[in-house]
Formats: sequence, structure tokens, C-alpha cells
Amino acid sequence: MSDRQYPAPVQRFLRFFVGNSVVERILISAAALVTAIIVSSIIVLVAGYLSGEAYNPIEIFAVLVNGAFGSPFALDSARLFTEGWSPVNFSMGTTLKETTLLIFAGLAVAVAFRGDLFNIGVQGQLVLGGLAAALALVWVAPFVPGGLVGTLLLIPFGLLVGAIVGGLYGAIPGALKAYADANEVITTIMLNTIATGTAFFLVSAYFADPTLQSVKTRPIPDFARLNGIVFPQGGQFSLVALVLALLATVAVYYVLRYTSFGYDLRVSGKQAAAALYGGANAERMVVSTMTLSGALGGIAGAMWSMMVIGAWRQGVPSVGFDGITVSVLAGNNPIGVIPAALLFGVLKGGSNAINFQLGVPPELVAVLRGMIILFIAMPEAFRMLGNRLGIKPDPASAATGGGGNE
Amino acid sequence: MSNAPADGSTLASVRDWFANVGRIPRIVFGSFFVAAVFGAVINVVMPGSRASTVVGIFNTSFVESTLRIAVPIVFAGLGGIFAEKSGVINIGLEGLLIISAFTAVAVTHLLGGDAQSAVWIGLFAGVLASTLLALVFAVLVIEFRADQIIAGLAVWLVGLGLGPFLSIVIWGSVNSASIATLNTVTVPGLSQIPVVGPIIFDASPIVILMLVTIVVSWFVLNHTSFGRWIEASGENPSALDTAGVDVHRVRYVGVVLSGVLSGFGGAGLVVGRAGRFIGSGQTMIAGDGFIAITTYLFGNYNPLGTAAAGILFAGLDALQIRLQQIPFIPAPTELIRLVPYVSVIIVLAFVGYTRLPAEAGEHYESGEE
Repeated sequence: MSDRQYPAPVQRFLRFFVGNSVVERILISAAALVTAIIVSSIIVLVAGYLSGEAYNPIEIFAVLVNGAFGSPFALDSARLFTEGWSPVNFSMGTTLKETTLLIFAGLAVAVAFRGDLFNIGVQGQLVLGGLAAALALVWVAPFVPGGLVGTLLLIPFGLLVGAIVGGLYGAIPGALKAYADANEVITTIMLNTIATGTAFFLVSAYFADPTLQSVKTRPIPDFARLNGIVFPQGGQFSLVALVLALLATVAVYYVLRYTSFGYDLRVSGKQAAAALYGGANAERMVVSTMTLSGALGGIAGAMWSMMVIGAWRQGVPSVGFDGITVSVLAGNNPIGVIPAALLFGVLKGGSNAINFQLGVPPELVAVLRGMIILFIAMPEAFRMLGNRLGIKPDPASAATGGGGNE
Repeated sequence: MSNAPADGSTLASVRDWFANVGRIPRIVFGSFFVAAVFGAVINVVMPGSRASTVVGIFNTSFVESTLRIAVPIVFAGLGGIFAEKSGVINIGLEGLLIISAFTAVAVTHLLGGDAQSAVWIGLFAGVLASTLLALVFAVLVIEFRADQIIAGLAVWLVGLGLGPFLSIVIWGSVNSASIATLNTVTVPGLSQIPVVGPIIFDASPIVILMLVTIVVSWFVLNHTSFGRWIEASGENPSALDTAGVDVHRVRYVGVVLSGVLSGFGGAGLVVGRAGRFIGSGQTMIAGDGFIAITTYLFGNYNPLGTAAAGILFAGLDALQIRLQQIPFIPAPTELIRLVPYVSVIIVLAFVGYTRLPAEAGEHYESGEE
């Protein structure tokens, strides 16, 4: 383990990264991402070899990212840019739609993680929040004037209903944890299945659209939906929703960082005893953290109903589970949720492209997701690697750099 | 193989065990016993009535299907005990079940899919796959000090990603083609014993293996020095270290054992009963790995209590399948399907407190402090 492999300025430069905890997190996430792509490439090569199809990993990832933005680059011609490409296109809309939903789901998981609670139940909170928002809008819309006034009244109303129902459903595992000491990991997983089953039953037995064969509610009236303004109507994406997601991120960041509630939440997560001496009610803190987390999940569900489907139907995509991945990749930092959600938005938006253009199953994205989390989980491995290469954390900042420096 | 401790009479040791096994298994066994007596009374007093039709569900074939459904839950639950007792919380059991189920079907399929030998090879290939993934997990958490929860989550997501993806590569669909399943094993003579005979001695080899594994796990954990090392590794690793036993090595064995056992669970599910891999949604495992975690919390890390809880959940599942076939049961099937999940929450709400091993979830480094 020699220190002399790099000249001094480079050492200092690297030390800055290894020593600094936020930058370190970003570096670890980036390293995990690269490693995950490499390992997934090997899996793709082997899978292609076994199935007799010649998959080219570089081509796959290029098409994946390019496709997510509506193919701005002409990959197979000498020209660099595709003629007539505009940033407002269907694939871009899909990517940003996924990003928007993932920001809310990621924030939901991140808030809980900050309070040292592992909310795997965002999926269930999202399912019920989405159902409640759709039903409430279908019921209330006839009593509200149409047009812009109706839109301005009903969009906040729908999101609020989603947040309340999601929040209440999140409060259940919170209360079970606080007052009965029931492990929230287990209860939220059970509540996910219960939410999906109950929603399916409610819609198929009571709220199904009688004109349809499928398990789907009546459609939300057009003026109560989040419609595309810049993006085409059919694209299932509304810029308003993305702006709301970014605002929510800033709001969560502010609440966690600058309010006494946020302080209690973070301290309960890190140092339960200190929070108690500080006057925080530990039980109530657990319940409110889970409620806030569930409310954010419920908003994600309401957005899915109001923006993507225009109703509620069975087969809600696993946005809530992806939110866990987003939050972990972001190091549970609200601001970090934005790039992490965009990354997974790109993966989802581009998965259609690799399917149509290259015949690669879109499930590859799920493999990539697993690999990213796998390598995110091993920061120490990257630190050890850094040490072996001679990049040691500054002794002064070794406290933030963590162990591994024998 | 005797499951009675060396000292004391059998009856006394049964009573001892009943007293020590924990509240949940006691409730489970107690209600099984009461239900059996109650059912017998109803059948004798009012034969042919609706009540006796409902009671009629609980016949030997109900018990057989319960045991078959229990396979992934009980194996993964037993595996989870070894990992968590040694100090490593493995919430990736679900992923281990998925990967072993997929690998077992894939290998059997590639070997032709019909011959019994191919099915057996598939079973062990599935166990191998799960063991390797558990080994990766072990290296992550023991060598590289990864957060056990996040690494376990990764194991789940890797399984959830790889299974369906490779299914599409092989079969062009997230669901596999069908393969043969293992033939039932009939033990001559013993299978003639009334009630117990056909259930235990005329059964799928996987079910028999499961019953044997329950007893062996109990014996290993309670009556061998390895079992004491596992316990110490989770409760007081520095004492174990002082006693000259390598804590890391014990934890490696604990985690790898969780991989081996989960492998038998996942592969056993497909070669014993399902005969195919279903990769849509949450895959065919559909949360069995997480239910397995609940079972060992209920069973308080005792293999017998864990198995009892696992069999109870499987029984609820088998029950809801049968209730759907009775015409006069008013509840809709979607809601009956949720009974096992709701009961987990209710039971957790009343007996939520479970004491984890003191050092579970904590990294141990020799010579720290």
C-alpha cells in the first residue's frame, strides 16, 4: 500500500473526494453504477451466447440511453444527430413520466430511511392512494364547474386525497412499530399484498366501469387530469407533475434540514436516546414519519391515476419498489433523489427501445437495478480498492471516511 | 434419529419443549389440537350438514397440500435462523428462493425435462445457485461490511431481475415451459400406518426432506458445539473470539447454510409441486421468503416453532384454496386470499416484540474496541 503512486496534487485531489462524505457518496454511487453496468454486460453476453443471439452490450446501453430521449443521436449513420429531433417527443415524455413518479416514490422511501424506518410499503400506499384519488375525482367532478376553474380545484383535491389515504395507510405500520414493536419491514410487505388484493376486490365488486370487462374504475373527467401541456396528450406525461415533483423535493429537503420536525426525525433515526432527551415523543415521531412517507407514496399513486391512466386499474407498476432503489442510490438524500430518479426514468424509458430495436427483453432493466443495489451495498469494497490504489483518506477527515485504513 | 434429549423421559421432554418453544407455536399446536377434536365431534354428531362439509376440508389431502405449500417457507425459514442467529440478518431469502426455483427449472429443461435424473440434477443445480448467491451476500456483509439490510434487498432484487430476464432468454416468456416433477416416495410398511402413514411415508421426497431437515436443524442448533458457536456469534461474538473460534468463519457458514436451505426450498417448490417457473409480477415465490422471515421471528429462532409457524401459514393458504371450492361460503375469493397476510399483521400486533440476537446486523471485527 504505497502513497507514492500518484503525484502530490493528484493525491490531494483524490483525497478531497475520499474524505468528503457527500462527494464520497456520489463517487460510491457512480462506482456502483459503472460496476453494475460491467457485470450486467457480462450477463448479457453470456445470456446472448446461451440463446444463440449475438447481443452487443455496448450497443444495448447506447440504444437504451439514446432511446430514452427519443433518439437524438443517429447511432448507425455517419451523421451524429438525428434530423428533425425535438426534445418534446414521446420517448422523452415516457422517461420524464417515470422520473416524476420515481421522485415521489424515492422521496417517500428516503423520508422513512432518514427516520431509521424501512418503508417497503410504498407500493401499497401508492396503490391505495391512487385508487382513492381516482374514485374521489370521479365522484366529485360532476359537482364542480368544468374548464380551468374545475382543473384548478380538482387537481390539488385529487393529490390531497391520494396523500391522505397513502398517509393513513403508512401510519398503520408506523403505529404497529411504535406501540406494538412490530417490525415495519415485515408489516409493510404484508400490507403491500393486502393493499393490492383489497383494491382489486373493491374495484371488481363495487367500482368497476360497467362498460368494460377489465378491473378498472370509471374514467376521471378530462379536466380533472394532469394533461400534457407542452408534451403531446397521448404521452401520459405532464410538465406540471414534474414541476410538482421538483417542488416536493425541495420541500422535503427543507423540512428535513431546517424545521424542528425534520430535526427530530433525523435525530430519532440516528440517536433515539438523544431525541428523547431533546423532548421528542419517540412513538409519535415514528407514526408521523411513516405518515409523511406514506403521503408521498400516495401522491405518486394519485399522479399515476390522474396522469398516466386517467382512472385506476389493476396492475399498478412496481414504482413503489423502484422507489427503494432510487432512495438507496441517492444515499437517502432528497436532492440526490432527482438524479437517481432520472437515471431509472432513463432505464425505463429506454427499455422499450432495446426491445423494439434489438429484441433485448426489457426485463434487463430489472437485472441492472438489482446489480446497482448490490454494488451500492458495498461502499467498503470501493474504499478498500481506493486504499489499495494508494488513495488514502486525509487523516483529518478520516472520521467521515470510515474504517478500512489499517 | 432421535429428537428427544438424552435425559428425562419422552413425555417430560415433550412437556419441556412445549414450555420453551414460545408463545406462538404453543397457540398453533393448541389450536390444531382443539380444532381436530372439534372437527371429529361435528362429524360424528351431525354428518352431512354444512358444518361437516366445512370440517370435511381438513382431511389427509388437506394436510398433504399444506406440507407441499410449506416447502419454500419452512426451508427458507430454517435457513434464515442459521444466518440471523450467527449475526447476519438475511432479508434476501426471497431472492434465494427465486434464483433456485429458476435454476432448477432451467437446468432440468436443458437436460431434457422429463427424466427423473434430470429433475434431481435440476434440484441440486438450484441449491448450488442459491448457495453461490448467498456466498456473494456473505462476502459483501462479512468482508466488505455492507449494510445487511441493503445487501439483502440487493439479493432479492438480483433474483427478481435475473429469474424473469433469463426466462425470456431461454423460453421467450417470463414463464417457463413445464418440466417433470419428482415421483413420490413410498416407504413400504410405514406408509400403511393410519393417518400419519400416507402423509409422511407416501410423499414427495422434498416433503420428507423438509421434515428431516426440521429435526436436524433443531438438533444441530441445540445439541452440538457448532450450534453454540452460531448462537455466540450472534449474541456475543467477542466472547466467541476469545474462546478461539473465528467469528467470520462461523458467520460465513451461517449465511451459506441459509443459501443451501433456501435453495432446497425454491428448487424443491418447482421440482416437487409446480413443475415450472412463473416469473410474472413478483414471480411464483410471491413473498414466501418474507413470510419465512416472519416464521422464524414467531418461532423465536427455534426450528420446531419456525416450522410450526411456516406450516400454519401454508395451512391458511391451503385452506383458502379449498374454501373457494365450497359454494355456500359467502366471502369473495380475493379477500380469502388475503387471510394469511392479515393474520401475520394481527399476530405481530399482539406479539410484536421479538428479541433479535444482540449483535445481529452488526459487523464484527476481531481486535476492535
